[in-house]
Amino acid sequence: MINKGWRALIPYLYLAPALSLALIFSLMSMGISMWTSFHHFDAFAGSAGYAGWENYRRALFAADSYCWLALRHTAYYVVLCAVGVLLTALPLALLCQKVRWGQALFRTLYFLPSITPGVVLALVFYHLFGVWGNLLDQPRTAMPALALMGVWAGAGYNMVLFLAGLTEIPQHLYDAARVDGANAWQQFWHITLPMLRNTLVFVVVMTIIGAFQVFTSVYIMTSGGPERSTEVIAYTIFLNAFAVAGQMGYASAVAWLLFVVVAVFVAIQMRVFRSRKVYDE
Amino acid sequence: MYNRLRVLLISLVLGLVCLGALWRSGVVWAWGMKAGSGRPVQLKVWDWWSPSANEEYGEYFAAVEKVYEERYPDVDVVLQIVPFGNYVQKLATAMVGSAPPDVFQSSVYWAEGFYQRGMLLSLDSLLAQAAADTGGQRLAQGVFLPSAWRHNHTAEGRVFGIPQIIDAQCLIWNLDLLEKAAQEDEEIRDLFEHLPDGTPDYQRLHFEGVRDWEHFRRLVKKLTRYGQDGEVVQAGFAINAYSGGAGMFPPWLAANGGRFQNEAGTRALFATPKGVEALEFMARLYWEDKVCPPFRRQIADGELFEEGKVACIAAGTWTGKDIIRNTLGWRNFAKTAFPPGPRGSGQKTLTWGNMLVISRNCPNVEAAWEYVRLVCGLEGNLLRLKYLGYNGPRLDLYQTPQWREAAAARPYLANVPQICLAGDKLRHTEIIATDHQANPVFETLLLRYPEIVAGQGPYSSVAAALKEAAGNVDQVYGRYHQQAQGWLARRGEGE
Repeated sequence: MINKGWRALIPYLYLAPALSLALIFSLMSMGISMWTSFHHFDAFAGSAGYAGWENYRRALFAADSYCWLALRHTAYYVVLCAVGVLLTALPLALLCQKVRWGQALFRTLYFLPSITPGVVLALVFYHLFGVWGNLLDQPRTAMPALALMGVWAGAGYNMVLFLAGLTEIPQHLYDAARVDGANAWQQFWHITLPMLRNTLVFVVVMTIIGAFQVFTSVYIMTSGGPERSTEVIAYTIFLNAFAVAGQMGYASAVAWLLFVVVAVFVAIQMRVFRSRKVYDE
Repeated sequence: MYNRLRVLLISLVLGLVCLGALWRSGVVWAWGMKAGSGRPVQLKVWDWWSPSANEEYGEYFAAVEKVYEERYPDVDVVLQIVPFGNYVQKLATAMVGSAPPDVFQSSVYWAEGFYQRGMLLSLDSLLAQAAADTGGQRLAQGVFLPSAWRHNHTAEGRVFGIPQIIDAQCLIWNLDLLEKAAQEDEEIRDLFEHLPDGTPDYQRLHFEGVRDWEHFRRLVKKLTRYGQDGEVVQAGFAINAYSGGAGMFPPWLAANGGRFQNEAGTRALFATPKGVEALEFMARLYWEDKVCPPFRRQIADGELFEEGKVACIAAGTWTGKDIIRNTLGWRNFAKTAFPPGPRGSGQKTLTWGNMLVISRNCPNVEAAWEYVRLVCGLEGNLLRLKYLGYNGPRLDLYQTPQWREAAAARPYLANVPQICLAGDKLRHTEIIATDHQANPVFETLLLRYPEIVAGQGPYSSVAAALKEAAGNVDQVYGRYHQQAQGWLARRGEGE
């Protein structure tokens, strides 16, 4: 028999592989990235000396820095995506829930874009947008076009999340509401939406985090153009880190700035959404 | 139970330790190698050209490998394909991870940076050892076109690559459309070479047939056809404003006597009246002369040309083979350099010679060098001509019967040597970073030229826009130069 001391150790042994992977590939990488951001660094040649806050200063204040521009464009994309996902995924989930026959088929169909590689989607939409009025050719329409693709790709996944949330809502709440004379809108507003709060928070937070990291569609479809109108922060980071010699430190600094922005956004959201008590059975 | 668990854990740990030790010693890797090829030396070759691109590339690489392995039976050539867009980061990763390719093709986009970062082996001593080579095997500056031997060495003359190809930007003309127009237009007829009986040779264009920019403008206007609603149904010339398309500015700049950067890579030189004229020339072709198809990101100039909807495009000298393949055999096109602008002199373009280089930490330098000698020697040039239809950087290639036969069978090759000789050196310092700074400005200038001229655009003038772009490019150069000096100083090669 295993003695008590060993028994206490076993959960940690189970956790150890995943924890060590997380340590190596996430936390340690983040630590290295932090260190790199304070150095002039090249992927091959290594460090060319301590830079202090210079990389951060350059990202935020240099005349040839596109960091603010990229942050602005990224924020625009995030708003478009967050609104777009909410306006599509939740109605789709509600509709899907009402379907008596073929719900699994609809779920599968809507979910398909989520498991299609981003590069494939980007290439397909690149040509579709060429047919639909050259959306990628104008600075005004290029970013909404990219967001449209992002929403289309993410709606199915989020629909499934909402669907799972909807099935968790106790039926007797609706029954009671109907007995009290509540119409469909009142049921949605006073029961469905509050009961979906946790799912809503999760979907919005994950959508925002994902949208902040938008890269593939920009890289494949616009390269940041036209006229820098789709230059986003992840594209700036990639370009400096991997395509420009000796700018890994600068790219890391921009990446940490992005981290701060995302962290602040998420913290605010969590605080706002948690400020009211969630309905409980 | 406890004992079993203990035995299991100890076995697992010991197993992992043994596997790690074997892996570290290279035994596992060596077993794999020997089981795979039976040859003791493995020569890792990296390229972005792929044998799976089409049958011609497949045959070319198979031929190179066959010749090499027959000559060196103890060496196994392992070709690894790395996409052009990921080349730099994958190479840096491989080198940092102590798994570099032995020998690889380097674009001039990166070669200078690779060397300055210490990734490449200096080839001076290998060249000195092979100084006695003669004929097609000789690798030295004098056996290459001058325009090929430019990007492969430092200002001090340290050689880090041997030219494998010679490429140039050029104008490609649809001879079917030109011949049709020439029936009624003497000026267009004069573009063609003449047969011995004095009639036009509709397969060949005079190298200097297009005299200057104004002449070019007149010609492409004559070659443009409009539909009932005024839309362009056959364009005289195509300009792509987006992203890389904006990169067509440098050859027009060269034709006007301008340069993009200085030789040391420390200063941008395009914000000059020559640059302004070059950009305005391109913009006016589109906006005022209306000789171009509409600016569309998804429309590739090359596709329009292959469909016969454009009379002339700017492209690379290597495109001939691709056009023939894509059009299932159509080869009635010809190439010229760019005609001179108001401040230029003579036909001009930009040329570059992508090269074979050897990794600094290459464990098989001798085998790698022999591979370089084969591919960059006359033999390799002839293999590329045979299978890929490419011209080459070596002067002796153009004296061979194979070249004469190829030029006779594919008349579009006729002007290619002259085009390559007429070129200025393509910019070479941190191209991707400078593109990121400059191309969006060129893009904006082309897309919004009328607004800018009217004083309502994002820039007050073309000159102001170029000045801003050049200032930003200078920042890139400054940062890079500072770091490069540090890297070189660490190796004792600094200024």
